[in-house]
Amino acid sequence: MSALQAGAPFQHSGRNITQLMQTLMYALLPGIFASLWFFGFGILINIAIAITFAVLAEAAMLRLRNRDIRSHLGDRSALVTALLFAIAIPPGSPWWLVALGIVFAIVIVKHLYGGLGQNPFNPAMCGYAMLLLAFPLEMTGWHIPFEVITEPQSTDNLGILILTAEREFLSPLSWGGFKQALLLAFPFVASGVIDISEFVDGLAMATPLIEFKMAGKSAILAARESGASLFARESETAWEIINISYLFGGLFLLYKKIISWHIPLAIIATVFVLAALFYAPGSVAIYGTPYLHLFGSATMIGAFFIATDPVSAATTRPGKLVYGIVIGVSIYAIRVWGSYLDSIAFAVLFGNFCAPVLDQYCRPRIFGHGLRSKSRPNEAPVNRE
Amino acid sequence: MSTLKQLASKFLGHDSVFARRTAGGIQPPPFKEHSLRSRIMSTPIPPQLTIPIGPESSGEITRLVDIADQVLKYQKLAVISFSAKGRSDVPVHAPTSGVITSIENSIVADHSQQQQLCINLTVDGHDEALLLKPHTNHSQLSSADLVALIRDAGVIGMGGAGFPTADKLSAYSVLPIEFLIINAAECEPYISADEALLRERANRVVLGAEILKRACAAQRCIIAIEDTKPDAIAAIKQALLNEASNQQCCELVIVPSKYPAGSEKQLIQCATGIEIATGQHPTEHGIIMHNVGTAYAAYEAIIEGKPCISRFTTLCGQALKTPKNFEVLIGTAVGFLFELCGIEANKKQKSIVGGSLMGSELGNDKAATCKTTNCLIAASSNELQAPKAERACIRCGYCADACPSKLLPQQLFAFSKTLDTTQLLEHGILDCIECGACDYVCPSQLPLVSTYKESKKLIETRRQSLEYSDYWQQRFQFRQYRVKKEKDQALSRKLDAPLQSMQAAERAPKNKNNEADFISKEQASRDIAAAVARVKARRNEKNK
Repeated sequence: MSALQAGAPFQHSGRNITQLMQTLMYALLPGIFASLWFFGFGILINIAIAITFAVLAEAAMLRLRNRDIRSHLGDRSALVTALLFAIAIPPGSPWWLVALGIVFAIVIVKHLYGGLGQNPFNPAMCGYAMLLLAFPLEMTGWHIPFEVITEPQSTDNLGILILTAEREFLSPLSWGGFKQALLLAFPFVASGVIDISEFVDGLAMATPLIEFKMAGKSAILAARESGASLFARESETAWEIINISYLFGGLFLLYKKIISWHIPLAIIATVFVLAALFYAPGSVAIYGTPYLHLFGSATMIGAFFIATDPVSAATTRPGKLVYGIVIGVSIYAIRVWGSYLDSIAFAVLFGNFCAPVLDQYCRPRIFGHGLRSKSRPNEAPVNRE
Repeated sequence: MSTLKQLASKFLGHDSVFARRTAGGIQPPPFKEHSLRSRIMSTPIPPQLTIPIGPESSGEITRLVDIADQVLKYQKLAVISFSAKGRSDVPVHAPTSGVITSIENSIVADHSQQQQLCINLTVDGHDEALLLKPHTNHSQLSSADLVALIRDAGVIGMGGAGFPTADKLSAYSVLPIEFLIINAAECEPYISADEALLRERANRVVLGAEILKRACAAQRCIIAIEDTKPDAIAAIKQALLNEASNQQCCELVIVPSKYPAGSEKQLIQCATGIEIATGQHPTEHGIIMHNVGTAYAAYEAIIEGKPCISRFTTLCGQALKTPKNFEVLIGTAVGFLFELCGIEANKKQKSIVGGSLMGSELGNDKAATCKTTNCLIAASSNELQAPKAERACIRCGYCADACPSKLLPQQLFAFSKTLDTTQLLEHGILDCIECGACDYVCPSQLPLVSTYKESKKLIETRRQSLEYSDYWQQRFQFRQYRVKKEKDQALSRKLDAPLQSMQAAERAPKNKNNEADFISKEQASRDIAAAVARVKARRNEKNK
C-alpha cells in the first residue's frame, strides 16, 4: 500500500464528497423554502424526523459494519438522502411513516448493499416506493393547514347534534399552522385533545396533476383564469413556484458542476416532447400541456436532484442520456397510462434497473479506438537534398 | 474538417492553423508565477558532477574514458548503444573539465528512479573546453548531415521521454513528414522551463525549430503554445517576424490552456485535428513532435556546434526562497540546486522531480540531474500532500469528464479492485496515459493512477506467464511428439532394416562393380526376406 500512496499525482482539486453533499443541500433550500411558504411547517417536521432517524440508522449501521462513525457520518450522504426523502413525503404525514421510510432507505437499501457508493437503487426513492406500496392512503394527500372551528349549530330532525365544521384557510406559517402540522405529525399528542381524524381525511390537497387525472379541471388553469398571481400565496399555484425553485436549485448545481447536464436535460426534454405529442386539449384531462407536466408535479426535483444521484445512475455520458430518456418516458407513461398518481420514484427506480446495462453498452469511444484505418496516400518521398 | 480549415484560412488570409477541441482535461492552478519571476540563470559550476550515462538495461554502454582520466569540457565520455532496439547511439559529454574519480551506479533525478551508471567528475574549475565546430549556415547542410550532427551532440527528447532526437528525426527516410510540431504547451503545474526559455530565447528556439524541420524534411512546422503564456507568445511572434525573410518557416498555434494539452497525441489532435489511433505512431500520419527544449538543443548542436551538456530546469516549491529557472549542467546534484535557491531545509517536506501531477518523489537530494529533469520541487508541508481520507467511489463520473483518453476511470477502478483483467482491457486500461487528471478531480480522493499502474503491471505479468506457459506447453508437447516419433522410428527401423541394407547394397555396386557383391546382394535380399517372413510368422503365432 505504501507504494500506492507515494505515487503521482500530488496535486488535488480539493473537492471532496462532504463538499458535494453540502452544495447539494444548499441547492435544495429554495425548493424547501417554497414548500414551507405554501404548505407550512409540515415539510420542516418531515425533514427533522427524517434527519434524526437517518443519522441514527446510519450510525447504527456503521457501528455494525465496524466503520469509523464520525468520519463516515461526516460525509453528509445520509443527510442528503434524508432531505430528498423528506421532501418527497407529503407534509402532514405521521412521524412513524417518515421514520419507517428513512430507516428502510438507510438500513436496507443503502447499507445492506454495501454502503455509500454500492447501492444499486436510490435509497430515498426506494423508501418512498415502499411506503407508497404499503401505505397508499397516507401517501396520496398534501395537507394544507386549515383552521377548524367547530360550533354546535343545529340539531336535525332526530334531535341529534350535528357538528358542522366550518373550515377556513389559515396562514401555513402562523402559529396555528405550526400547531396543526405538529399535531398531524404526532397524532398521539393530540389524541386526547382534538379528534384529528376528521381533517386528516378531509383536507388533503392533491397536486395539480393528480387533480387533472382525477377531476379534469386544472387548479392552475382555474387560478390563472380567475386572475391569481403566481406569487400570491395560494395553494393553486404552489406547485409551479416549488418546481421553479427546484429548477433554480438544479441550475445552481449545474453551474457548480456538481451534476452534468445530461440526465436533467434528457428527462425534461423527453417529458416535454411526450407531453407535446400527446397533448389533447378538451379530451381526457391527464393529457395536459407540457407546461403542466413539467411544473405541475415533481418533475423538476426528480430531474435535477433524484435522477442525478450518481451512485445509482448511469455513469457514462451516452449512458446518462439514455438513462434520462428512460426515466422521462417512464414518468410520462406511469402518469398518463399507469394507475399511480405520480411516478418519479418508480421511474427513477426503473432507470436504476437499467443503469448497469447502460454503463456496459453505452460507452464513449476511447481516444484512438475505432478509427477507420486511414492509410496515408503513398506519396513520393520528399526531396531530401 | 478540411473544409473548415479552408474556410478559416480564407477569413484569416493565410494558411493558418487553429486549435481544435480535445476531450477531457482539467485546469489546475499552475503555480508557475514564482519561478517565472526571475530570468533564467546559469548555475555556478558545482565541485562535483555525477553524469548519468543511462541505466544498464537500456543499452550497451561503451566507456570512452577511465578513472583518473583528465577530461575537457565537451569531451565525449561514453556512448550508449541502442542498436539492440534498432536505435542509434547516444553519446554523453563532459559538462566541464576535471578528473574522473569513479564510475558507479547511483540514483538519478528522473521518473524511473532507477539506479543508473554514472561517471563521477571532480571539477577542476578551469572549465577548459574543446574547440567547437559551429555551422552558422545550417541551410548548407543536408538533412542527413543535420541528423548526424544532432546525434553526435547527444540530443535526446527534453520533454521527459528522453527518446533520442536523431532517431525520431530520421523517420523521414521511411515516411514523408508533413507536420513538425514544436511542443510548447507546458501544461503541467509548477513546470515553467519551456515558458522561460521561449520568453528569453525565442529566436534561438525558432531557429532550432527550423533546423529540426529541415532535418526531418517536414513540410510545415507548427509551434503549439498554451494561451496562458502571453509573454512567450509575444516573443515567438517577434522571433517569427525576424525570420520572415526566410519565408514562413513556422506557424504558431495557440491552444486552450488545460492539462494535459501538452500530451503528444492530445496536442496533435489539437493542432492538426488528426486523432492518432491506439498503437499507431504519429509518423504514420506524417507527424513528428519535438519539445521546445529539444529545438533549443538542436540550435546549440548545429549553430554553436555545442553538444548537449545542460538543460533548463525549473526549481520551485514553497521551501525555496527564490524559485527560478536554471540552465543546469547535466550531473549537478539536486541538493546543490536547492541550495542555490535558498532552501529552508526544515520547511522542506519532500522533493519531487517532474511536475505536481506526473512527477515522482525523489528519495535522495544527492541524486543527479539528467537530460530529462525538467522540474524539481521542494515541497513544504502545506502543498502537494496526499489526500487525507479515501472514500468509496460514488460514481460521480467527474473522472470520466476529465479523462483526455475518454476512458471510464471509475469503471477501471472497480475492475482493478476485482482484478478483472478481461474487462480492464476491454475498457482500454492500456490507453491510460497516467496523466492523473482523474485523481485530481476525484471527490473520493481515490488513488486512481497508482491503481491503474498496478493493474497494468498485473496484466503484463499475466500476459508474460501466459506466454511462458504457452511456451512450455509447446515444448512439452514437442518433447512428447519427439519421444513418440523416436519410438516409432526405432520400431520401423527394426522392421525396415533389411530393406535399408538392401537399398544400401543397391547403391554400392555403382562404386564397386564386382560380381561378389552382386551375389552377396542377392544372397542378402533372400536372407532378409526369409528373416522378415520368420518374424511375421512368429508375430502371427503370438497374436493367435
